[in-house]
Amino acid sequence: MSYRTKQRLWSAFLHLMMLMIVAVCLFPVLWSCVISIKSVGEKVSGFHALSITQPTLANYGRLFELIPLWQHLGNSVFTSVVGTLTTLVFCSLAGFAFAKYRFPARDALFYFVVATMTIPAEVGAVPLFLIMKNMELINSLWSLILPRLATAVGVFYLRQYIMEVPDEILEAARIDGCRDLGIFWRIVCPVIKPALASWASLTLIARWNDFFWPLLFLNKTPKYTLMVSVSMLPLSDGLATPWQVILAGTTLVIVPSILMYLFMQTFQKEGATAGAVKG
Amino acid sequence: MLAPARRLAARAFFKRGELRMKRRLWKRYRFAYLAICPFFIQFLIFQLIPTLATFYYSFTNWNGMKKPRWIGLDNYAMMLEDYQFLDAFRNTALYWMIGVAGVLCLSLMIASMLNSRALRMKHFFKTVTFLPYVCASMAMGLIFGMLFDENAGLVNAVIELFGGRALPWLTSSRLARIPVHILFIWRTIPWYTLIFLSGLLNIPAEFYEAATVDGASGPQKFFRITLPQLGNISFFCFVTITVDAWKIFNEPYTLAGPGSSNTSLFQLMYVNGFKIFKMGYASALGVVLIAILLVISLIQFRARRAQGEL
Repeated sequence: MSYRTKQRLWSAFLHLMMLMIVAVCLFPVLWSCVISIKSVGEKVSGFHALSITQPTLANYGRLFELIPLWQHLGNSVFTSVVGTLTTLVFCSLAGFAFAKYRFPARDALFYFVVATMTIPAEVGAVPLFLIMKNMELINSLWSLILPRLATAVGVFYLRQYIMEVPDEILEAARIDGCRDLGIFWRIVCPVIKPALASWASLTLIARWNDFFWPLLFLNKTPKYTLMVSVSMLPLSDGLATPWQVILAGTTLVIVPSILMYLFMQTFQKEGATAGAVKG
Repeated sequence: MLAPARRLAARAFFKRGELRMKRRLWKRYRFAYLAICPFFIQFLIFQLIPTLATFYYSFTNWNGMKKPRWIGLDNYAMMLEDYQFLDAFRNTALYWMIGVAGVLCLSLMIASMLNSRALRMKHFFKTVTFLPYVCASMAMGLIFGMLFDENAGLVNAVIELFGGRALPWLTSSRLARIPVHILFIWRTIPWYTLIFLSGLLNIPAEFYEAATVDGASGPQKFFRITLPQLGNISFFCFVTITVDAWKIFNEPYTLAGPGSSNTSLFQLMYVNGFKIFKMGYASALGVVLIAILLVISLIQFRARRAQGEL
């Protein structure tokens, strides 16, 4: 076998494998979309699921009857957007201080931040619930935002990125009379825009997908986020909810995060070039 | 010797100097400390205090209503006789071990494939293979619940198509863990693929060129260059997957099997703390989780240091 054919065979094999992986990645999501537009009368068992004779949006309509969808959607959007904005601000500020300032105990504090990653906040859930209760944050959307104003991973990630910003521009800005916050806002933020964008998209999706904390802290129906109300679909009514309706619910929560990711993906590329030109 | 008045004046002078000095120092470091303090305040209130309180409550019989009473190690003794705890411990340990092995191997494989020069449409493949990470685990749990359904599920339909027998995936205590394993690995891989890919991109191309010149084969290059160069990254991945796996909740919660067949430790803690209000016992379970995570990360850090890589 010549080198050429060997290369070709390898390339074909590689692409075949990648296509299989893509199929595995996409299949469950597409499955959910397909089932969600089947009418409730149709069979969904086994391969019957794949034949759609009368596509319908009735399952989505049924969702609106089962749960106060707009309200829960609003709750989800509020917590994810406000949560993302606050983390962006506080993580990048802390990352900036750790990367570009000298102050007593800096390294020790930074190692501490990194070490906090090994013990997740979830292990303290029982006392945390009590603290939230005393702060009257149970059934408040702020209970999902305040405990994660700044996350250790975010501080770590943005510090790495800000370290690469050359000191010279910061010095130049300082000589031109820029104060600390001014340097942060006018110099550092524009330069690290791509990092901010990717961190924002990851946080936004993670907060949207958040399930355990809302399940714990929100226990009044009007306060639920979309994740919690969708997770309760199989149990509602006392009757078994048909699969079509449940999967309409899951499609409804998955599709926005996928769209958000694809949107951020394009934004990120533009951001990357913009940062390079300015930096 | 100074006269008393002068001594007082001197002391006042030094005090003022000290104050001025302090003020100057404060002014110099003010911005940095103010910038990092939100993290520490939030960490203190919402993470450190609850974690420490977990230790305290684990020695009490707190039920959320009455005042907690100190009962020493009773909660821990109870654990050893609680078959639910033993099940949950075994399940979570399995989620961890199979999860770490599966995720590390598969994500490294996918990352190497994505990094291959022969691959076309890289951007498309990178984007699509990241999608599972974006999907909510709770929603995917419901979807996998349907796919693995005994009667309606597609998995059984495929098995029957190839002449096998339908299996009670989520209703038998022997099989109920498998869908959870699959879902966890499916959803976790993309994140680590991304990390490995960035690691692969950082390996200087000259290494491979030199190896090619010396006549190294593909596998040789992989084991002699790629793996050692990824050492630190794999270590980081190992630690983070470990944390993710031990706090697994959404997957077994939505794919609940019979009894405690696929319950995770953290799920058991949730049930004890917030469903049957044995908050003391739930806290003890939290302490066990903390202990496990600490021990695993300490062993890992030790091992790394012994190798001289940290």
